Amino acid sequence: MDTKTKLKQVLIDELNLEDLTPADIKDDDQLFGEGLGLDSLDAVELVVQIQKHFGVEIKDMEEGREAFASIATLAAYIEEKSG
Amino acid sequence: MSGKKAGARDGRNGWSSRSVGSKFQHGIFYFLIRFGGRRGAYGLLYLVAAWYATFSKVARERCRPYLTRRFGDRGLTMRWRERYGLIVSLGKALIDRAVVGILGPESMTVEFTGGEELLAIKNEGKGLIVMMSHVGLWQAAMSALGNLESPVHMLMRREDGDIDRHYYEHAGIERPYNLIEPGGFLGGAVEMVDVLKRGEILSVMGDRVLGEESNTVTVDFLGAPAPFPVSAYRLAASTGAPIAVVFSRKTGPDSYKLELAEVIRVTGVKGRGAEIFKPFLLRYVDALEGYARKYPFQFFNFFQMWKN
Repeated sequence: MDTKTKLKQVLIDELNLEDLTPADIKDDDQLFGEGLGLDSLDAVELVVQIQKHFGVEIKDMEEGREAFASIATLAAYIEEKSG
Repeated sequence: MSGKKAGARDGRNGWSSRSVGSKFQHGIFYFLIRFGGRRGAYGLLYLVAAWYATFSKVARERCRPYLTRRFGDRGLTMRWRERYGLIVSLGKALIDRAVVGILGPESMTVEFTGGEELLAIKNEGKGLIVMMSHVGLWQAAMSALGNLESPVHMLMRREDGDIDRHYYEHAGIERPYNLIEPGGFLGGAVEMVDVLKRGEILSVMGDRVLGEESNTVTVDFLGAPAPFPVSAYRLAASTGAPIAVVFSRKTGPDSYKLELAEVIRVTGVKGRGAEIFKPFLLRYVDALEGYARKYPFQFFNFFQMWKN
């Protein structure tokens, strides 16, 4: 399973996006606001789950701002940090 | 009169926490503290508080929501007395804060019941969320956190142009805690998680909405629905960090007491949305209401907490 697909599955499972499947989520969907519609409460869980499932820590706010733009940017960030 | 800190400029009704006093007026109090001590400043406070309680529309508006909820509808005289009492209490807290900075920490004693328990909880290694409120003198609680031998971070917004000074600013020392800006990216979520993962202390205010209104749950407080923030409970659930509810109160002219009122462990939550944290929020709100009923003139949240 590639990083994007695994990431989508993690989002669905850990953030309880019950009505969605990985196929429903586009790579360029925004994570927050429009798109998936996540909020800052979800961000807390997301930071924790990314470390748990991918071993990647997001510590820096500026890095986080860029990484959390979309599924694609977050997957790229994970691959860069875990590679 | 000065509004308390951690304000929400974007809160309901355009409310602002900025002090209503001028820099010159604050300077008079600082002068009196320096040359007349606490009693000198208190002396002027009684006169200033009477003026604000009688003539200040801002003071009346900021006091009204809480006094109405806490004491019900009152006649003009009783309401004036309550307003005066509340303003004097707030003024004393602000003077005490300045006294510590100007005259030194030995000018105030802080007794902490529950300090050993708090240290044990912190040493569990999952980080610690200290939930404070706009009661007593929260800076006294912050000073006690220094005894936990761990860096302290505080989620707090300070308004531009506010001239009300913190004790460390009076003392000319470095701020003893790191500020996390709630208006930052995702409400400071990334930073807060990082703090707790390092096993450090995160201090938050439990009684005021700072960020997104969607991250609140409405529960009854003093008999009417009021929204409370739930981000801290999400943090606790995600990281495993316990929440320690700490209240402070003035117990004498130069003494404060801190109490560990509740330890909330947020476990077993499932689903989405803010409402899943309601059972945990209610434990905090019950403790806060108990405090307001027991020490009504040490409750200083002048924010319009209630929906109506």
